[in-house]
Amino acid sequence: MSDTHPSLQVSVADIRMRNPVMTASGTFGYGSEYVDFIDLNQIGAVVVKGITSVPWAGNAMPRIFETPSGMLNAIGLQNVGIDGFIDKKLPYLRNFDVPVIVNVCGEQVEEYLDVTEKLDAADGVAAIELNISCPNLHCGGMSFGVDPKLTDELVKGVRKKTTLPLLVKLSPNVTDITVIARAAEDAGADGLSVINTALGMAIDINTRRPQLANITGGLSGPAIKPIAIRMVWQVYNAVSIPIIGMGGIMTGDDAIEFFIAGASAVAVGTANFVNPRASLDVVDGIEEYLERHRMHSIAELVGSLEVP
Amino acid sequence: MPNPTQKFDLPTEVISNELIAENHYLLRCSCPEVAARALPGQFIHVLISQGSGLLLRRPFTVYTIDDDQITMLYQLIGEGTNVLSGLKFGDSIRVLGPLGNTFDFSVTPNPAIIVGGGAGIASLMLLATALRDADVHTLALVGSMNQARLLSVKDLQAIGVDTHIATDDGSVGHHGFVTELLTHLLQTHDLQNPVIYACGPDGMLRTVTKIALDSGIPTQLAMENRMGCALGVCLGCVCKVQLSEGGFEYQRVCTEGPVFNAEDIIW
Repeated sequence: MSDTHPSLQVSVADIRMRNPVMTASGTFGYGSEYVDFIDLNQIGAVVVKGITSVPWAGNAMPRIFETPSGMLNAIGLQNVGIDGFIDKKLPYLRNFDVPVIVNVCGEQVEEYLDVTEKLDAADGVAAIELNISCPNLHCGGMSFGVDPKLTDELVKGVRKKTTLPLLVKLSPNVTDITVIARAAEDAGADGLSVINTALGMAIDINTRRPQLANITGGLSGPAIKPIAIRMVWQVYNAVSIPIIGMGGIMTGDDAIEFFIAGASAVAVGTANFVNPRASLDVVDGIEEYLERHRMHSIAELVGSLEVP
Repeated sequence: MPNPTQKFDLPTEVISNELIAENHYLLRCSCPEVAARALPGQFIHVLISQGSGLLLRRPFTVYTIDDDQITMLYQLIGEGTNVLSGLKFGDSIRVLGPLGNTFDFSVTPNPAIIVGGGAGIASLMLLATALRDADVHTLALVGSMNQARLLSVKDLQAIGVDTHIATDDGSVGHHGFVTELLTHLLQTHDLQNPVIYACGPDGMLRTVTKIALDSGIPTQLAMENRMGCALGVCLGCVCKVQLSEGGFEYQRVCTEGPVFNAEDIIW
């Protein structure tokens, strides 16, 4: 290694990571599913599947559908619940030297608070990502993330229950994402995850039925990357807390685009379904870019958009 | 110590990809790691390399294993299989696998009754081979739309399986559904310890399930579904499964399945 080898280490919202690449919630299970393909110790942070206060069964089938350069999903946050997570999933993750970020969801404020309290007391949790943007729940989830008053109330409530770094995951399904971003920042968020899936829909024209049992679902994958880049840039210009950029990242170059737009770290989502090594391939791509451009750290790139 | 359930994600090249029946292809590739490990019922998740315009992989059962090579038998059903059918010798794909659970024949069926509808028979060929290797008396009931689409009969006969045919249009074999062959078999024979193994369209599997419940014959179904990751994380491929303690749970076809007990599936 030469002296000019770039450093990929970052500290984002007080989460210290060996590189700026996380796994996006819901696309990496609880980590154990990927160990045949990837050394978890080499990922920046593992963000686990959304957890609720009690186990959720999830939505009826069909739950997913591929669309041009993307996929729709309406899983409905099927998960083991916070007690199951702490008893059965978290101990395994403690075997690794990687920050574990837990995505938290619920229908009522009380549920978010319950899960947060338990995570705050648990060993091996690096941060909480508050999911106020799941599009596949009939109440809760996204309803918090499209209303600045509800965002304020929820983030303030959760903030009081934990000293862990608190990320808030924003929905793209709003008229002005900066309004929600500011509300979350003012209520005490340490960082923002931008963006969750974009609400979408697809129809089987022969049966005239929706392709998803839930009718609508969240669109992810490269199809939403330009929307995500735009929103990261907007949020970057509206708040002073760090942004974790996500939405359709498949390669290192995609991640670089997010850094330039204003993200301090990124998360790889749908790409994990296609390529189990995607997150590490993105790390390699970022490193190559930095070397090629003779940069020493990610910080040189963050928000470096040149506006003509 | 080697992990017997190790999964691999490996690049490989197409050796052959031939039309073997109307609307159905057989693709062969070299994949020693999967060939050495794949068990009856297991599947692979195939990435059709760059330029296909597809985002996600597509799941296919392992049809046969010949030394280092595996084959997959698939029906043209959409964009993915359409692109796949255009691949030629030397084209690149990636194979993720082997994935999923396996058929259970530890009870020593007598006979094992294999029921395949359409391309569903593909999921039962490795099982037929394993049953032959274990000296289990095996019958195969193979259904298709018509003679032109009939699959696997020669392959089954080649390994000595007593094979019966049903076609929807009566162009060969019994004129009607393959499930009618099953009902007839059960009505006319006094079977000692039968076990049914089935894969095919939902309608067929529902009927097989009804026959299983009415007759009390243990029955295993290989389920199919749209899949995202095939590694158990996206939760896109679930089916509804009855729990012994009451209630139900959505279980992953890719991980808890693809093989389920027929009595546990809630349709």
